[in-house]
Amino acid sequence: MRGRGALAAGFIALAAAAAVPLVVRNSFALHLCILVFLWATLGEAWNVLGGFAGQVSFGHAALFGLGAYATAILYLRAELAPWWGIPLGGIAAAVVSIPTGLVAFRLRGPYFSLATLAVAELTKLVALNWEWATNGPTGFLITSLPTLHLFGISVDWEAKAPFYLSALAMMGLAMGTAAALSNSRLGSFLLAIRENEDAAEAVGIDTVRAKVLTLALSGFLAGVSGGFYAFYFRYIDPDAVLNLGISMEMVFIAVVGGLGTVLGPLVGAVFLTVVGEEVRERFGAGHLVFYGLFMMLAIRFLPEGIWGRSRKLLARLSAREARHAAPRG
Amino acid sequence: MGALYAMIGIGLTIVFGVMRIINLAHGEMVMLGMFAAYLGHKSLGIDPYLSLLLWVPVLFLAGVAVYRFLLARVLSGGELNTLLYTAGLSLLVANAALLLFSGDYRTLTLGYAVVPLRPFGIAIPVALAIGFALAVVITTALWLFLGRTDLGRAIRATSQNREAALLMGIDAERVAALSFGLGTALAGAAGVLLAPSLYLYPTVGELVIVKAFVVVVLGGLGSIPGAIAGGLLLGTVESLGAVYVSSTYKDGLGYVLFLLVLLYRPSGIFGVGRS
Repeated sequence: MRGRGALAAGFIALAAAAAVPLVVRNSFALHLCILVFLWATLGEAWNVLGGFAGQVSFGHAALFGLGAYATAILYLRAELAPWWGIPLGGIAAAVVSIPTGLVAFRLRGPYFSLATLAVAELTKLVALNWEWATNGPTGFLITSLPTLHLFGISVDWEAKAPFYLSALAMMGLAMGTAAALSNSRLGSFLLAIRENEDAAEAVGIDTVRAKVLTLALSGFLAGVSGGFYAFYFRYIDPDAVLNLGISMEMVFIAVVGGLGTVLGPLVGAVFLTVVGEEVRERFGAGHLVFYGLFMMLAIRFLPEGIWGRSRKLLARLSAREARHAAPRG
Repeated sequence: MGALYAMIGIGLTIVFGVMRIINLAHGEMVMLGMFAAYLGHKSLGIDPYLSLLLWVPVLFLAGVAVYRFLLARVLSGGELNTLLYTAGLSLLVANAALLLFSGDYRTLTLGYAVVPLRPFGIAIPVALAIGFALAVVITTALWLFLGRTDLGRAIRATSQNREAALLMGIDAERVAALSFGLGTALAGAAGVLLAPSLYLYPTVGELVIVKAFVVVVLGGLGSIPGAIAGGLLLGTVESLGAVYVSSTYKDGLGYVLFLLVLLYRPSGIFGVGRS
């Protein structure tokens, strides 16, 4: 089942999800799906580093914002179309994260987390004050998107469907990356680092290299999401994309969904978006109250997350069935 | 500002020292102190400095309760879990305040603190001067408490070596709850003292917490004299930086200093050994 079966199941699920806009025309429903895909990608980006490698970052908004700014600046100043700009935004975030990681990963555990917090605040400060490049607090407004002809049809950017499909592809990329990572040599290194960094080093794992590579991967995914955000919402400013809140939401999605699992962030993102929309409607700006509350509840009662726990229960159920089917002795 | 930073830092460092918890909700406790002072002044007409007598015990008890009923139950989950837990707590408190008080920026203006003092031709805002004086008084009192009383010694002993403290018959759980209460009360008191000199808004904690970490890391996590020195250093660097470098990057200087210290002196300038 694992490996090829899971891969096939993933592709079938993606293909089924891709057909949804053919049936569902309600633009609010599609908007919610887009948010779920975007957040799932971000949660996965965080989870690769925080869940798989156990390196808790409170500064991932910096990578997200970097991708958003790079993409928007490339489009507005160099007229580079988003389908080139978004991957470049991801690469920019990955490139920046390498030297940052080389420095920050000299720190461990909570010290690393604190350093990421400071780096993110610095990034926001630079974005606010470096007016020449970033327009300062005003940010960027993307008024029109370039025309694109695919299969002879001109893409309608006012509709939700093109964004839906791009966000789905982005999430597929993130999950594929996470799945590949968890089955790879690097993935085992990360697991070893998470469980005991000294022991990992003692058996000859280059821990800094493994962590920096993972951070770059995570940065790429976060940067791509940032670029997508810029073009979907068409407006970015330091408060919207570089806020501590964004970093915390990524943490929330991974923790509630399931740290170190491939599907956890999707579950977390569904939870965040559904609960988030509901409480945002009722409580306005204070909806983060519930994120805080659920995060505390999750750590207290469900440290392996919703998906982590359900997976465990499923495994136990199927083990019991197997025992019933083939009784020993 | 330095003395107030120091006070916030001491609270954080005591909690870290005793429980190895990095309390990300510390900034929110400062915010609660600020709002307590503001509301007391606005609706009941209590002088904010006088209200310390009321808020310090209240916040102390609140801190003990938070530890007993919330934090103590997740401590076994390890360092990263408690870190994430306090992050959740911080989101919860900040946004509950946002719901209650709305996101407006408020100011607490005191009738007697409008005209700045002018000793030696340097203008010093009255509110900051009083805040500084009271912070010095409180810090000194705390210093005496930690150094001279049995309970204070128990707190220091637990933070130096928990197992040894347990062997000496110290109830480490009780010490932990008291220290958390103490940390909360200190943060809240600093908030009360800051209220007349800063803008009040529910998410001010974000700004405060980063500064508190700068202070604590500068002096070495877990070290109380370190936190005092770190607070004074940050206050000085920020005000000098605002004059000689640029006022927009004033906050940035603190972060840069923070990263440098984390990297090159992770045990702080006055560190008590690596933890």
